[in-house]
Amino acid sequence: MKNKPGAWSLKRRVRLVCLNLFYICICFLALVPILYVLLLSVSGGGGALKTGLSILPEKFTLDNYRRIIVEEPFLRWLMNSVALSVGTMVVAMGTSVLSAYAFSRFRFAGKQASMQMLLLLNAFPQILSMFAIFRLFRLMNLLDSHAGLIFVYAGSMCIFSIWNMKGYFDSIPIEIEEASRIDGAGNLQLIVRIILPLARPAIIVTAVMVLIFVWNEYLFATTFMLKEESYTLAGGLYQLQANDYSRSWPLFSAAAILVSVPILIIFFCFQKYMVSGLTAGGVKG
Amino acid sequence: MNHSKKKFTPWLYHLPAFILIGVIVLFPILYTGYISLTNMNLYHWQDYTLVGADNYVRALGKIDSGFLTALWNTVVWTVVNMVLDVGIAYILAVGLNVEGLRARRLYKTLIIFPWAMPAYVSILAWRVGMYNTEFGLLNKVLVALGFEKVDFLSRNIPAFLSCMVLNLWMSLPYMIVMFDGALQSIDRSMYESAVLDGAGAWQRNVYITIPSLRRVMAPVVIMTTFTTFKQFDIVYLLTMQKGSVSGSTLQTIITYAHQNAFVSNNYGLSSAVSVVIFVLIIIFSMWTNRAVKSEGGLV
Repeated sequence: MKNKPGAWSLKRRVRLVCLNLFYICICFLALVPILYVLLLSVSGGGGALKTGLSILPEKFTLDNYRRIIVEEPFLRWLMNSVALSVGTMVVAMGTSVLSAYAFSRFRFAGKQASMQMLLLLNAFPQILSMFAIFRLFRLMNLLDSHAGLIFVYAGSMCIFSIWNMKGYFDSIPIEIEEASRIDGAGNLQLIVRIILPLARPAIIVTAVMVLIFVWNEYLFATTFMLKEESYTLAGGLYQLQANDYSRSWPLFSAAAILVSVPILIIFFCFQKYMVSGLTAGGVKG
Repeated sequence: MNHSKKKFTPWLYHLPAFILIGVIVLFPILYTGYISLTNMNLYHWQDYTLVGADNYVRALGKIDSGFLTALWNTVVWTVVNMVLDVGIAYILAVGLNVEGLRARRLYKTLIIFPWAMPAYVSILAWRVGMYNTEFGLLNKVLVALGFEKVDFLSRNIPAFLSCMVLNLWMSLPYMIVMFDGALQSIDRSMYESAVLDGAGAWQRNVYITIPSLRRVMAPVVIMTTFTTFKQFDIVYLLTMQKGSVSGSTLQTIITYAHQNAFVSNNYGLSSAVSVVIFVLIIIFSMWTNRAVKSEGGLV
């Protein structure tokens, strides 16, 4: 501690260099699998089969991207994913905004009990009731239908959305509402005109999380969708790698990049809210 | 009139959401409970009969049913992953906050990538891109270094470790970000006075950093413990996809329930296992709730 300033700062500088090297290695470890997939996607079909360790592709080509878009029903899968995501978002948000508002603003018998009940239901991993849903859907002829899948997704995201938005509604002062109530606004009018604009950040973040959830879901999408033309991106990618992957692995890598990029962009735009949203949604109460 | 109208208003708002949740979440859980009491399987798809607690006896009473092994695997899986996850994330987050580390923001942004990727894309990419014997990067590195190829996913212990490495790769970024946020909320002046009192780096960690982090991190750690306990995708996609089973027989309780429902068609047994898992989760969450509350302050 009592060294000369020069020696102390040299020691410190060496330590910082080591620390930087260490974190460069960590970042490398975090990125290697992603970079490898990216690299394969832009190298020719033979790149994956080579046994040697080449760092850079021999020739840069977008052929895999062309093939995945033109030769595989990629655009079809994309359309299905978009339809499911938007449909789920509309159903889940439409139902949960009203419910979250009621939980935040009204006092009523059974309020605490029903909030606890929702948490309890949310603790049940949905994979475990997948067979029951599957059997019910088969009896009701809802398999292979987008509407059926939208309701499954909306139901499983509804509880999360209610909890997530209720917390935010609680933080909006009730005086604003009382003022407009005196001005003669009805209940629904009040929600549409006053509450929704005020709660916009929370609603957008929750909606984005619902979107990401649907975009990333593969298990229900592959179990409930039986025809290739109704696959989502997740289902399609799953099939690509489940088939003969020596042929389709370069294609899969291109598809993987295409599917991940929109999610990465959204994620980094909303990163700040993702962290707070996750903690607020999961912990409070 | 007005009074009774007011009484029903909240429920009117809840109605759409509660119908949806009732049909999609609550009813299937109850139905699972009902199936668990029957002998429903491929041969008894329609003409199943109630068999009482038989499925529960089979799941919990017989060692060779495989459920108890799966439960043990899941407990080991959760404990090992959580210890490594929290330990490594803590060290990395503390390192990121060392004074003078200028590129810290860049490192943080890069480290986050595995968290942002769609989980199933990452898992499938690891399955072929990392662990595969022909195309996998790990095997290419091993061969280039002059070693034999390793089939990572064909035997139980290597498969367990492979799943664990992937799980850590996917979950560490979140943990690091949370630890990093928590570290920044610690009052700097505490360290300054500790240095004046002659405390070394180790003592500062043990007496200031760790105690200050406990309250902030407890909910995050508990939540991650639940996700790790319920982890399905990694084990399923790496080792037991339909048509490309890798050879390891590693099961967690969730994959065990899924296999019995969708592969061996033992719907009754699978549902009984699901109910048992649900009860375990409820007990576990009540216990953690109480533990967190008795620690004080966290509501």
